[in-house]
Amino acid sequence: MGLSDSEKIRYFRQLNVRGWNQEKLKSAKVIIVGVGGLGSVSSLYLTAAGIGKLRLCDGDRVQHTDLNRQILYSEESVGRLKVEEARKRLASLNPNVEIEAIPEFMDSQNADEMTKGCDLIVDGLDNIESRFILNKQSVKMKKPYIYGAVQGWEGFVGLFHPPNSACLACFLPQDTQKPDEIPVPGILPGMIGIFQATEVLKFIMGVEETLLKRLLVYDSQNLTFDIVEIEKNPNCPYCAVS
Amino acid sequence: MVIYLKAGSELRERLKPDIDYYTRRIKTEEGKTIREILADIGINPALVAFVYTSGKVKGLQYIPSDGQNITLQPPVAGG
Repeated sequence: MGLSDSEKIRYFRQLNVRGWNQEKLKSAKVIIVGVGGLGSVSSLYLTAAGIGKLRLCDGDRVQHTDLNRQILYSEESVGRLKVEEARKRLASLNPNVEIEAIPEFMDSQNADEMTKGCDLIVDGLDNIESRFILNKQSVKMKKPYIYGAVQGWEGFVGLFHPPNSACLACFLPQDTQKPDEIPVPGILPGMIGIFQATEVLKFIMGVEETLLKRLLVYDSQNLTFDIVEIEKNPNCPYCAVS
Repeated sequence: MVIYLKAGSELRERLKPDIDYYTRRIKTEEGKTIREILADIGINPALVAFVYTSGKVKGLQYIPSDGQNITLQPPVAGG
């Protein structure tokens, strides 16, 4: 594929990072499902890095209560479709990235069509139920799923790629209790979104040390990072069946 | 037997640590699951999504051993 002269200038500061492969990034297609706090950050950094194609899915419109953490948006964005505002912002950052904006929520009916042709699935969701839809899609298509979640002072990041690893349902029960309004300071999706983008880039470029089979648990209040192994559950309702 | 439960910021208040900022020493019976132990100490098991110990994630049906350190993890669902 090769890089143009302007791309070589734009990506100059990263081209000599050990293991970096800009052409692999340029060939990659990534879907980010949910362009809120997590998706704002992961999409920004993947765009800056020069991912080839980014598909953004979100049926929401920007609200004032989003602006503490959804850093793609501004006061002017309020009331507008998130994916359209995101597309404009990201295109202005890096016009080399092909950005597709789908103003819909992913569900079990449209998941096949939405994830078609993507190399990786990136989690930008804000509820557990939809994450299980993404997880199911990852298992079905055998595509890597970069999981991310935040709440209060804590965040999780994981890379699931069944059948090579456990899936989300191997360790996370579907019936966990959740608050009506999940408290999220902007700093948490800031950190977790960047970890997700990092795992995407490493996976695409074949950098060996990823979070595959592991979960990063970040507690920002206590400043602790725990990385724990997730074993495949032989009775998993998702990946054991498939 | 004795186990040590640890909780991060979201669960710490409910755990009522007594060893350090995060950790509570629990005297319990052998053979009990984490779910049962949580119920015994007044923590609703639904507030804990999973636990981890010795670097591995376990479910609430896990049966700990004497002296083990277990970290409780609440559900985290936002984005």
